[in-house]
Amino acid sequence: MADRAEFMDKVRHRTRTGKYRPTHAPDVAWTREGAPPDKEPIEDPSARFLEELEAVGGHGRRVKDLEEARSYVLDLAREREAKLLLRWGVGELTRLGVDGPLRKDGVEVAVWNDDLADSKDVASRADIGLSTAAWAIAETGSLVLEGGPGRGRIVTLLPPSYVAVVPVDRVLSTVPEMIRKYAEAGNVPANICFHTGPSRSGDIEMTLAIGVHGPGDVHVLLVG
Amino acid sequence: MTTSKPARKHDTEDRRREGISSNREGFNQRSRKAIGDRQLHDAVALASKNLIGGRNKVLGSLPDAPELRERAYRIKQETMANLDRYLEQMADAVEARGGNVFFASDGEDAIRYVADLARRKGAKIIAKSKSMATEEIELNRRLEEDYPDLGLEIVETDLGEWIAQLAGETPSHIVGPILHMNRQRVADILSGVAGEKLPPDVEELTKFARKRLREKFLAAEIGMTGANFGVAETGTICTVTNEGNARLVTSVPPVHVVVMGIEKLIPKFDDLSTFVQLLARSGTGQKVTVYTNFITGPRAEGEMDGAEEMHLILLDNGRSKLLGTEFEEALYCIRCGACLNVCPVYRQAGGHTYGSTYSGPIGAVITPLLKGDKEAKDLPHASSLCGACSEACPVGIPLHDLLLKLRNRQVNEGLAGKGQSVAFKGFENTMRSPALYKISGKAGRVAQKVVEKDGAIRPLPGPLSGWTNTRDLPPLAPKSFRELWKKGLKDG
Repeated sequence: MADRAEFMDKVRHRTRTGKYRPTHAPDVAWTREGAPPDKEPIEDPSARFLEELEAVGGHGRRVKDLEEARSYVLDLAREREAKLLLRWGVGELTRLGVDGPLRKDGVEVAVWNDDLADSKDVASRADIGLSTAAWAIAETGSLVLEGGPGRGRIVTLLPPSYVAVVPVDRVLSTVPEMIRKYAEAGNVPANICFHTGPSRSGDIEMTLAIGVHGPGDVHVLLVG
Repeated sequence: MTTSKPARKHDTEDRRREGISSNREGFNQRSRKAIGDRQLHDAVALASKNLIGGRNKVLGSLPDAPELRERAYRIKQETMANLDRYLEQMADAVEARGGNVFFASDGEDAIRYVADLARRKGAKIIAKSKSMATEEIELNRRLEEDYPDLGLEIVETDLGEWIAQLAGETPSHIVGPILHMNRQRVADILSGVAGEKLPPDVEELTKFARKRLREKFLAAEIGMTGANFGVAETGTICTVTNEGNARLVTSVPPVHVVVMGIEKLIPKFDDLSTFVQLLARSGTGQKVTVYTNFITGPRAEGEMDGAEEMHLILLDNGRSKLLGTEFEEALYCIRCGACLNVCPVYRQAGGHTYGSTYSGPIGAVITPLLKGDKEAKDLPHASSLCGACSEACPVGIPLHDLLLKLRNRQVNEGLAGKGQSVAFKGFENTMRSPALYKISGKAGRVAQKVVEKDGAIRPLPGPLSGWTNTRDLPPLAPKSFRELWKKGLKDG
């Protein structure tokens, strides 16, 4: 078994003594026929986000306030005949105020915090997962989820339906813009996920299958 | 760490298999069978057409695609030239975030580490998300065969990989592991697991897989992933999936093990922007995949899920010996599969024909490089050198140049067929003498009458058969250019 020093010595030796240095540009250049497509500026990031999300099979809606967002979530719970909703334990979602009305409708509500016993079991029984997002990306219709206290990763992953309620001012334009933001901040969170639409697979005969391991039913509400 | 001996010592043949599974038949024998398989041919043709169509559309809509490709090449070039420094940085960053780092010279090192870890944790189930590096070292088979006392159940959780695993087959495409199977075949395989007849309906089959695999995710003590990219600066592991299995495997089980080839490193977090865009667009024709997940160390304080322990295995397995050689660019590969989809040979022969974890043009390049020329002698010849692969490659690897260099290396090592060496020597002599050249053309036209059939020459007898066994040779024209030219001059 190689220890670190031995392993490194080998790599170091080879990088230092190797004679060949690939110096040419990619062998067959990519050249465009005609002018490149315009780098269209994303003028309305929230509109673009909703468009892109729909294109990958998700459902997006711009709502004017938390009240409208709340009724969307309540309607969804009714439509999906949900028995259990699991949500992130964060202040924003407490303020959304769905817990009381849902319980009144007979839907059990679980909150991802230290009081939650057997969190794995609850997450796998839940019909709907509810979260916010740190950011959203217009160009791709992606949610940017950060793990952290109250922000369980599997809340967004195990339930078959998933809803995210995101303030509209968190929508950024592009993937490079998002990555640069983390790169500049330096200390990246233990988990970041760019989540884009419903879980999918094309493995069987290239036929699209939805909801393979993650949610097949994805809703994003942009608030404000 | 305690080290334990494998229960069964590898015999010679197994040692030979170290690295990439080999098969006694060469590419040439297997391709003959594959070309006769209509269903396989149609499935591969459809898949490659769809994948390439998607790729062209989505890459085409990216205004700075050529610049991104150029940048990706430069970043990889820089990384390989200083790989020791970036590996140190990566290891330090992962450790600073509370992760463990292990350096594996080969597959056996990596597998022993996982076995020891499984023993310490008392693990019974390992849930894996798709990883070409673990396929390469045959981790599943060797963990089960060499450490039977652990009684490990290793479950692939990518839908295609799981079905391939159940069928006892290896993936046939880097991105689409079972694109060689039709849905009836999949239904038969899954029916076997279900203990009841499942319909050949993609939605139903997927639903069954979701339910069955969900149980495994929840029960697994160890989750394993590969890494699409490793960021030296931050120690971040990036995985790119559509199903969500890599996110599940890193979120639910208490232990997360990453097996990452050392060439997967990129220097900075910001470099991810180049590679994430190129990989998704080039691999599946998506702007981004559904789950582009970034893991930096184990779960942070206050988190209730995510692995509590994270282990990064940095795998060499023959990679470092390519550094600083004329084959270094083979290490730039991001495993998008675009070169497979555009390759006329892959499209005719399918993935398994290559007899290797990595198929298509990149497989024909890296298999002999990682495993040795003798083990994959046919592969550098499994190419028409049309260059479509080099053109498709999103990081600009000159694949067809590398194939030529490999052929050259075979000749230098005396591995090329004797017939070929003699023939090229004869060709050289003939070309040097106008008289010989003139006679040879005439002699050829007389001789080919014996062997021409359906407008092609096949097969040539004796030592010449080495060429025509795997190629159709067009017959010589009735009149040579030289003869027509002379005639034209007179007539004119």
